[in-house]
Amino acid sequence: MLSRLICYMRGYLCIRITGYSTERFLNACRHKGIYLWGLRAVSGAYEMNIPISGFRRLKPIIRKTGTKVTIVRKSGLPFYLYQYRKRKLFFVGVFCCVFLIFGMSRYIWNIDITGNLTRTDETLLEFLATKSVKNGMAKSEVDCQRIVKDIRKEYDDIIWVSASIRGTRLIIQVKENEDSAETTAYKEEDEPVKTPVDIVADRDCTLEDAIVRKGLLQAKIGKKVKKGDVLVSGQVPVNNDAGETVGYQYQISDADLTGKTVLKYKDSCENTYIRKEEPGIVKQEHYLKIGKVRVALGGIKNQYEHFTMTGEQWQLRLFDNFYFPVYWGERKAVPYIAHEEPYSQEEIQQILTQRFVSYCEDLEKKGVEIIENNVKIYTGSKTSEAKGRLTVRMPVGTEKKSELIKIPDPKEKEETGEQPDGNDGNSH
Amino acid sequence: MHSLKNRISELSELPKDVVLGIPMLTMIGQMELIIENYRGIIEYTDILVRIHTKDGQIKVVGNSLKVDYYTNDEMKITGCIVSVEYVK
Repeated sequence: MLSRLICYMRGYLCIRITGYSTERFLNACRHKGIYLWGLRAVSGAYEMNIPISGFRRLKPIIRKTGTKVTIVRKSGLPFYLYQYRKRKLFFVGVFCCVFLIFGMSRYIWNIDITGNLTRTDETLLEFLATKSVKNGMAKSEVDCQRIVKDIRKEYDDIIWVSASIRGTRLIIQVKENEDSAETTAYKEEDEPVKTPVDIVADRDCTLEDAIVRKGLLQAKIGKKVKKGDVLVSGQVPVNNDAGETVGYQYQISDADLTGKTVLKYKDSCENTYIRKEEPGIVKQEHYLKIGKVRVALGGIKNQYEHFTMTGEQWQLRLFDNFYFPVYWGERKAVPYIAHEEPYSQEEIQQILTQRFVSYCEDLEKKGVEIIENNVKIYTGSKTSEAKGRLTVRMPVGTEKKSELIKIPDPKEKEETGEQPDGNDGNSH
Repeated sequence: MHSLKNRISELSELPKDVVLGIPMLTMIGQMELIIENYRGIIEYTDILVRIHTKDGQIKVVGNSLKVDYYTNDEMKITGCIVSVEYVK
């Protein structure tokens, strides 16, 4: 394939050899190192392809072998260009095309983000735009190290980022933290804890069970705690022989805490719904967008008040990584007439029950055990509501940096302890 | 002389086609035949190709035979090859 392309670029001739000793001609060409290919026997003669440079060296061989050479066909780029040499606009077009491709290849035309599961591409792209990283920026302005640092700084749960430029694409790969406990453990193994971390109550609850792996349990089991109360302290006191606290050992608290709490549930649903009646009209628009210029064929304008719109867009690219700021796509609008229809009592009950069941299932997935449930459905004139309270047993506690406890100065202690004694001594 | 060179190539573990200058034929099915170490073409039609080598001639018989390329080092014959024969 590549050799054919090179042959085409350099140009070649298809020649026909006739005469008495044509084989001698072939051997002479071989001897002179002239490359021949596509050799075929055609009615007592040979046809073959020969490069232009080889053809220029044929004269002595022809004379020596007494063969006759006729040109059958001229192929390749040099002949093509020579044929169209008078079409100046064509050459201007080719030059512009090459110039544009070269010019555009100096900019970023596509930002590809992979590995993000909890955040959408749009969220990350918006953040990058605030840091002046967007489509259309010069490749020379892209600082991959800076992008990596910015993303790591902004999002704590993204534990690994890689940014690289391929063609006109900026490829950003991220790895999100799937298990925070593992990372904490990893951190602890690697470096000593400089700032202690407590576990504080994230809601008002009654503490029912606690398994503490690291830290010191502060709350009592069976007692009520309020939101923000420290449940497990990351500062473990170090006592001397006299039982006095001489320091604190800092730790990142780790514990499984279960509490009993009440969750409020409220969900509402309109008593009516919109029934869409489609009159069977489909409006379609095909468009081409080059940079900010947009050319459309067709249109989605219609006299109906409501319509459903769907669209798809593609970007022009050369191979895998050479993207251009050229987009094309289609938009489709399907108008409909909206009819407001009432739900029946059973339907309302079914909708609200279904939503409540899926809410309960979500809670169970998070490890929440429902003990008591008094959610009821109330039907109003316009809307219906499902509301009530759920008594649940659930994991409680969230990590928070500790407020450092001041270590009492032993000198101060001595001074305050000796003074009364000294006074006593003086008085005696 | 030939046997001496043969012995040398066997002892030195050098490729025989290099030491003896004998032709090397690589055949892919019936479709392709690549010949190295040849001296020239004696006859070529679309049903017969005779090639001159150091040891004699190689006769390739087939249908729609075509020489894909023909260089100083090697040549490639394509088409439907029926037989390859050594003629002393």
